[in-house]
Amino acid sequence: MRRAGLGLAFTFGAGLLAAGAAVAAEPVQITMWSNWPDEPAKKDWVAARVREFEATNKQCAVKLSFIPKADIYTQAKSAVRTGQAPDVFYLEPDQPEFLAGGFLEPLDGHVDLAKFEDWAKPAWTYKGKVYGLPVEAYTVELYYNKDLVKKVGVEVPPSHQLTQAGFADLVRKGAAAGITPVSQGVGDRPFPGGLLLFESLLRKLGVEDYGKLLNGTLSFKDPRVQEVMTWFKGLVDAGAYPKSFATLKLGESHYYFYQKPGALTFPDPSWFTGRAFASPESGGMPATFPLGIMQFPAMDDGQCPTCKTLAVAGSFVMYARGKNKACAGALLDSMATPGNGDKWMEQVSLQTGLKSDPAKINSSHADYFAELNARNKGATYFFGTPLLYYRSKCAETYTQVMNNAFPAGLIGVAEAADKMDAACRKGS
Amino acid sequence: MAGTTALKTTAAPTENAPASGRVSDPRQATWPVLLVFLAPALVIYLGLTAYPAVRTIFDSLFTIEGSERSYVGLANYRDLMGDETFWIAVRNTFVWAFVAPVLDVATGLLLALALYAGVPFARFLRVAWFTPVLLSYVVVAILWMWIYNYDWGVVNEGLRAAGLDALTRSWLGDPNTALASLIVTHAWKWAGFNMVVCLAAIHALPSEVLEAAELDNCGWGAKLRYVIVPMLRPTLLNLYVLAFIGKMKVFDLVWIMTGGGPLWATETVSTYVYKRAFNWNTFDLGYPSAIATVWFGVVCAAVIILNRVFKSRDRLEY
Repeated sequence: MRRAGLGLAFTFGAGLLAAGAAVAAEPVQITMWSNWPDEPAKKDWVAARVREFEATNKQCAVKLSFIPKADIYTQAKSAVRTGQAPDVFYLEPDQPEFLAGGFLEPLDGHVDLAKFEDWAKPAWTYKGKVYGLPVEAYTVELYYNKDLVKKVGVEVPPSHQLTQAGFADLVRKGAAAGITPVSQGVGDRPFPGGLLLFESLLRKLGVEDYGKLLNGTLSFKDPRVQEVMTWFKGLVDAGAYPKSFATLKLGESHYYFYQKPGALTFPDPSWFTGRAFASPESGGMPATFPLGIMQFPAMDDGQCPTCKTLAVAGSFVMYARGKNKACAGALLDSMATPGNGDKWMEQVSLQTGLKSDPAKINSSHADYFAELNARNKGATYFFGTPLLYYRSKCAETYTQVMNNAFPAGLIGVAEAADKMDAACRKGS
Repeated sequence: MAGTTALKTTAAPTENAPASGRVSDPRQATWPVLLVFLAPALVIYLGLTAYPAVRTIFDSLFTIEGSERSYVGLANYRDLMGDETFWIAVRNTFVWAFVAPVLDVATGLLLALALYAGVPFARFLRVAWFTPVLLSYVVVAILWMWIYNYDWGVVNEGLRAAGLDALTRSWLGDPNTALASLIVTHAWKWAGFNMVVCLAAIHALPSEVLEAAELDNCGWGAKLRYVIVPMLRPTLLNLYVLAFIGKMKVFDLVWIMTGGGPLWATETVSTYVYKRAFNWNTFDLGYPSAIATVWFGVVCAAVIILNRVFKSRDRLEY
């Protein structure tokens, strides 16, 4: 009887141990919100990194959701206040309020920051610490249709950069031939309408004074700024943009450029590829499309014809009040390898803020990469687009005026400059 | 003593009688019973309506950055008075609130009269005209963005086909036409609802009065002007007030179709509150709370005034 009791106790104890082991083996679940639900290449890259992490870190499980960017921002802004935010979420450096509010966890103790490109770190550096994993980086490029540009009688020079007058000539010839010179729309984005003007201002003013303009210490009434704005207004009045500019969405402007009705040029950040390299049935570029990349035009007496904008975009951050920081940090660290940087460039055909080895990149779009690299060779970079600098009322004014009303031809140079100075000029 | 006893004795049956009556008469229910029935609605009302409203008023006295809040008193309200965009939004919202309901109600009434008069295919038209009411704002917005499209939208294509190319324009991209275009879209969506209400009201009109009008050789126009519309007046005014309240809070359609642009031409108070709360690179809820509080007061005041202005002094007897 006593033996039987001992045996029962042993069995019971063993059962408890086994149950305990099972509980210990239960992985910790973290949540992750990513953008790019409608960009298959980027979505696949994120999903593959998460799968690899889970395979090598059995103690962690990731609940991954893909949510459109605007929705992520809206949801995250509510969630961080109430402590309900995901452990890891998508963010871009143009949302500094998350940093200022103390809602983000510094990555310094979680991720090997040596795996980031040095130029990408400042975008996420705040009070000496780095807060974001800079997956997506881009330069602002001027794409063009080689055949159509030739058809309207314009020869792109070997430097791939037209002069100020040469670009105006291209616009006039395109409009005269019934071909839209610049495919662009602002129906669902607060920035595309400003790309051509602000890249031109950068080349005119040079890095230092352009920085002053974006920081609000240089007026939009500066004669050099006025000169570029007047030239730009001439392009608008000549019919540079589609008539449906105000409502054309970003995705539609891609289709407008390389499918129907077709346009001469398309100013776009180099994340152009996210949509363009999708299949034509999904709104992508036809395989035979004669894509070229030229430099934005060189301004007369411009301080920096070789200048161009470089920026960090899609990144992943950790929530400061997350309960599973060990797993969240390990996930981000596992994503930040040079090998993953190579895969990003291979699959997405877009720059990254993670270190990568171009020699190891084996892309089906090698020609595109070669041309992109050629256009970026010898470039002097300015870091950040206007919306990375503009805040609150100034950002709203940029969106309404420089992104929309001015390129749409609704207001003149003086009124646009007045509105921008009133909203953005320091001390005004 | 004896008197007291007598009173108790006589009172007892009287107390018993209502006790059995309470079961069937809710007006006689005791407080605990009432609370059981009221509690769910009360909890929902307090939690989801009263608390957020009071909290919004309270928050409007603070600047709330991240998890830190600092008391600023009425500073947000002072800033609001000098906020140019706010006043543009107020102007646009008033245009919506006072003009659009007229269009909504007039369209609804005309459609209802068409059905009442027995237009061909009335049964089909009634369904077709009501269908937009069932559509979400997202669907309606996208549909009308196509209709207004400069290149291939049906409005501009129609104008081109009619040889009126000079009138084609980017309807939502032009500050002169953007607000009107949104108001037309909104009227299209709600015309069916107003039509159904008006049609029900028309059918409820006393047939003797209409027949008497016909016997007096009253034509359709005169009957409409002197008989139908006056008798529908309370219904039409209620529809107007309902539409007015809705327009004072208009958000969805504007947000999807224009985002308040171009050049703030379609900005409404609701879109401005949303922008200040979620789109201005700040977590400050104090300032948007001040806008919401002011507008809450304006809507309440406007509804009270409208009710007083429209209050019927002469009750129709028929």
